[in-house]
Amino acid sequence: MRRILFIWPVLLLTLLACKGEQAGDGGVYQATDTLPMLITQIQKCSRLYTVEMKVHKIVTHDDVIRLRGSVLQKDFNFKVPLGARKIAIPMDATLKAYVDFSQFSEKNIERNGDKITVILPEPKVLMTSSKINQKEIREYVALARAHFSDAEMTEYEQQGRAAIIQSIPQLGMFEMARENSARVLVPMLTALGYQEENITIAFRKQYGVDDLKRLLEIIP
Amino acid sequence: MRKTIENIRSITVAAAIIAVILIAVWLYRSLGDARLEMGADNSIDLTPTQIESIKAVGEWEFLSISTEELVDTTRKRLFGDDQLVRIYYGTLRLGVDMKQVEPGWITQRNDTLFLTLPKIGLLDRDFIDEARTKSFFESGTWKAEDREALYKRAYRKMTAHCLTPTNLRTAEENGRESFRKLLRSMGYQKTEIKFGK
Repeated sequence: MRRILFIWPVLLLTLLACKGEQAGDGGVYQATDTLPMLITQIQKCSRLYTVEMKVHKIVTHDDVIRLRGSVLQKDFNFKVPLGARKIAIPMDATLKAYVDFSQFSEKNIERNGDKITVILPEPKVLMTSSKINQKEIREYVALARAHFSDAEMTEYEQQGRAAIIQSIPQLGMFEMARENSARVLVPMLTALGYQEENITIAFRKQYGVDDLKRLLEIIP
Repeated sequence: MRKTIENIRSITVAAAIIAVILIAVWLYRSLGDARLEMGADNSIDLTPTQIESIKAVGEWEFLSISTEELVDTTRKRLFGDDQLVRIYYGTLRLGVDMKQVEPGWITQRNDTLFLTLPKIGLLDRDFIDEARTKSFFESGTWKAEDREALYKRAYRKMTAHCLTPTNLRTAEENGRESFRKLLRSMGYQKTEIKFGK
């Protein structure tokens, strides 16, 4: 009887603790903004964005625990039962191609009578934003494993971001960036009084795949 | 005959002892090299990047503000609080959309060129690079809605901190200077540049 009386307060406290969790799930959180903004870097620039591409990627990770080793000079490698986890993270990203005008000068202009040639620097591509579709993330976790932590998920997202940046040379943005630069600049030059047929927009060089990889702007 | 049997027995015993020693040495060496490790590969699988849309734009950027925001949320519980702290990264780009220029935005009177550019504004509504987010601290279990709420708070804070009249003014001044430099390189020395309000 005494033992039962002793157990009651423990049970009551456990139930109260569970109640606290339920309240949290219902969205009644105490959200606090206690930490200030860290760093702001302001940079003056002059960039003409000419192409915008939206891409989608599903980042997947198959987290299988494997037992590896060697005994009696025999190697073995097998899956641990009940140790598998899987996650799929859908993400969207916006890529933009631009021409940098910050170093633009008289050297970029060639005039011959009524004709004008504008020589533009090499276009570059950067990722301007990315969004994780949090509500569409799916994870499957075996009984013996813990759920994916926030740190693990952000690490996979960062790897997915890097994979998108690596795939930029295959997306064909650079050629489009060249064509669209002309579409923006030609109307401006015609407004300045030049005839359309007298305007040439040129770029410094043709690109190979290695050049394209070099032009990627990767934020660490 | 008896001696022969004793000799055979001695040889057998010696051979057995040698065999046991050899097996022991072999086992010792084999087990000495034995290794056992348990782990998982932490890299993501190879999946394709799909193009959803592609469009031509004409946006001139004059000021870029790169920022990072530390956002946290706490859930009160009876035994200790749950906490999630994340660092979000974003870049706000200020400039003009050249598709918004009105007819006659460039005019010339005497030797002066007059330009009327569209109003300076934020070029990208989505400016947070969420895939770059760092998880700083996590205790307890958090849902997609919680992360979404943190994202929205980071967005509001970044907008409030970075989209200020001072930064808009700086972008306008730099835009004016950029266009002046561009036109000067084309041979137009006198220019008047204004922005839409």
